[in-house]
Formats: sequence, C-alpha cells, structure tokens
Amino acid sequence: MTSRQIFTALPMFLAVYVFQEAVVNQFRLPGGGFSLFLIFTLVWAMLSTPEVAALAGFIGGLLMDFSQSSSGPIGQWTLLMIAACYAVAYFGSGNESLSGSPLGFTFFTTAAVLLVEFAYVFTGLLFGLQIGNFGQIAITIFGISTWTLVVTPIVLPIFSRLHAFTFDTRSMI
Amino acid sequence: MRRDGGGQSRLLLIILIVTALFLITLDLRGVGLLENARSGTQSALSPFQRAGNVVLTPVKNFFSDLTHLGRTRAQIEKLEADNAKLKAELITRTSADAALNQLKTILDLAGTAGYKIVNARVISQGSSQSFSQTITIDAGTKAGIRKNMTVLSEAGLTGVVKEVYSNSALVSLATDPTFKIGIRVAGTQQIGILSGQGTRSASLQLIDNLSNVKVGDVLLSRGSISNRPFVPGVPVGYVTAVDNSAGSIAQSATVLLYTNFSTLGVVAVVLGAPTMNPGDALVPVKPEPTPIPTVTIFVTPSPTPTE
Repeated sequence: MTSRQIFTALPMFLAVYVFQEAVVNQFRLPGGGFSLFLIFTLVWAMLSTPEVAALAGFIGGLLMDFSQSSSGPIGQWTLLMIAACYAVAYFGSGNESLSGSPLGFTFFTTAAVLLVEFAYVFTGLLFGLQIGNFGQIAITIFGISTWTLVVTPIVLPIFSRLHAFTFDTRSMI
Repeated sequence: MRRDGGGQSRLLLIILIVTALFLITLDLRGVGLLENARSGTQSALSPFQRAGNVVLTPVKNFFSDLTHLGRTRAQIEKLEADNAKLKAELITRTSADAALNQLKTILDLAGTAGYKIVNARVISQGSSQSFSQTITIDAGTKAGIRKNMTVLSEAGLTGVVKEVYSNSALVSLATDPTFKIGIRVAGTQQIGILSGQGTRSASLQLIDNLSNVKVGDVLLSRGSISNRPFVPGVPVGYVTAVDNSAGSIAQSATVLLYTNFSTLGVVAVVLGAPTMNPGDALVPVKPEPTPIPTVTIFVTPSPTPTE
C-alpha cells in the first residue's frame, strides 16, 4: 500500500466512521442495528491483499476504539480487526466462490461480523468487561448479523467502487 | 485461499499486533494520552452528531413507530381513538413542544426534590456493537457536568454520566448490563441492588433475606456518598414479578424501569442535591380508574287492553 493509496483511503475510512457515529448511531434499531463501519472495513479487507487488509484493520480498529460507545480498553478493537481483516483477506482472496459473487461476499461478510462480535465478547471477558447476560448477547449478535445480511448487498457496490478507486484495480463486485 | 504470504507480510502483521497489544497495555495502565485521544475524538464528532440529530429526528420517529408494531388490537384501537383526538393539535406542534413537555416534567420532578439540574438534549444513541447502552447529550464540562452524576428523564432515572467532554457527555443508561444502583422500596424502606439487563426490564436483588417485595412496589434510588453517582429519592421503576425460589438466599424480582429509553429527547443531569433526603416525595402517583356510570332502567308493562 503506497502512501498515495493510504492518503486516498484514510479520508474514506474517516468519512464512513463519521457517518456511522453521526447518522447510523442515531437510530436505535431492533436487535442492536448494524455497524456500517465494521462492514466497510471487512469488505475493504476482503478486496485487498492480506498485508493491506491488516493495515486497514489497524486503522479501522483504532477508530472503533476511539468511538465513545466502545466499552473496552483502547486497542481491543484494533487487535481484533487486524486479525479479522488479515483472516478474511487470506481466506477470501482467490476464493472461487467469492470472486465476482455479491451473494458469496454478503454471506462471507456476515460470517466475519458474527465471528468478530463473538471474539469481542470473548476478549471482553478476558479483559474483565461486564458485557451482559448470555441471552442479551445472543440477541445482539443475531440482530447485528441479520442487519449485516440486509445492509451489505446495498452498500457493497459503493464500497467496492471506493476500493477500486483507491487501488485502481478491477476488484469491483 | 491465499498461500503466498511472505516474511514481509508476517513482519507487518506482527508489528501491527504488537502495537495493538501495546495500546491495550497503556490503556489498562491508565495512560492519560489514550484517554485524551478518545475525548478528542468525541469532541470532534459532537458537532456532526448534533447535525445528524437535527436532520434525522423525523426519520428516527418513523423507525420508532415501526418497532412498536407488536401491540394488541385493543391498544391499537385505543391509540387510534386518541390519535384522532390529538391529530389537530399535532399538526400545529413541532418537536420543540415535545421537548418542552419533557423538560417541564423533569423540572417538576427535580423541583419537588430540590435537585439542582442542568438540561440537555440527546444527540446520539450509542452503537450496540460493543454491547453497551449509552446516549450522548449536548452538555458537558462547560455546563458544570462531571463524571458520575445522576441523569433523569421526565419519568425517573435514566442513567449516570460515564464520560464528560467540553460540550457533550456520554451517559450509561440504566438498561446497560454493567449498570448497578442501590435502591430502596418506597414505604417499606427495604434495600437492594438493581442491575441493568439490556432491556427496560431490570433485575432486583434484595440484600436482607428477611425482606419481601410484592408486585407493584415502587423503587427509589438509595443515594450515594456526596450524591455521586446517585442522588437519593429518584423513581427508578416498579416490581412486575417476584422470584420466590426456595434455593435463593434473598428474594429477587423483575423491575420495569419508569423511563422509556426509546423516546428520550431531553434529559437532566443532577448537579447537586439538597442535604435533606426527599424520601418518598417523588413516588409517582398511581392513575386512578375512572368510574363507569351505571344506568338503571325500570320497565313497567303496559296494561293488557280489554275487549
């Protein structure tokens, strides 16, 4: 990832982050709603090489840590997002069932969101965070996953084009 | 599946992971720089949140209506009747009127107890991706708000100030799973601990194993040392179900919180409380049932006509 690409990508990350905090967070949607920024970062990672994905995960995770609604220590989301983005890029790139398939991408993103949320709960417990009872956690994770399944196909073409604009590649879905 | 990850890729991954672990360590050790970064981010975001709140209020109201579609038929009919009656008024009123009403009720509540309050508008709801339930309000340190201050709505307790910035503050709602408050039962003065459950229903655990609560009992905040985080006497909720399990040490119960967290528009942060405990002065008045008028009709049979 060249410095030009970083300088192009960073405003996009910031714009989606501000949109998440100022617009999406205004709605108290049933089931916990969705995190557009999380979807954006994971989609970005899936369209990238593992190295770029890890860097995207670092930037995305750091911004999520700075969010006022983040209850864990700064660095928790960063750590998770580095691992998650690297993993999705590693398993996603070159995967025949994903390349050129919006449906496959949607399911893969949803699965990634599901795993990231589970990982957040697990690491949160390790850090001694009080996250809530099992039922409430299950409802929230199910809600976020369902919303991700609905939202991802809508935003995927936009995110894909933003990624292609930055990297000047043919990785658009 | 990609299998060509080289040494450079692994090195980058290790550097990033070590940086993340370094950040976690610094934060857990309480390094102020990271906390300032979070405050700085919030201060930078609050103008966007304010703008978003102004623009999206009508849309939020629409979504709020959608989430309450599971009402019973009778409730819908009653609401339709009420709606028709109020429709003419609603057309001419703006959202400012609703905020004014909330504000007036909060002022009445605070005035009765003698709380010194500062009012604030809710400008953002916290994302639940981190499983926390929070709101952001448009008043901060400049308005005298500090950490661990009680936050009220027109119905009662809303939460507690978790973080405070120059022009905004983050409020942890009473529904948050980490939220705990010492309460006493109005009238009987029994004490217990109320815990948030992620919904408007909270869980009550009595402290004394000889105490008993019953359905309908009103719970008030017990108050904290120097009134922080909680001032005494704030209505919290009422008991909806009691768990009388034989195995439990002390009685537990389910409590419905007074505050409707999905319609929070205006809240008040308690800056100071009187030295005297308001006691049960803030216990909400139970609505009295309207008597149904009965009409008795006497029927006298007409005399049978004779030939």
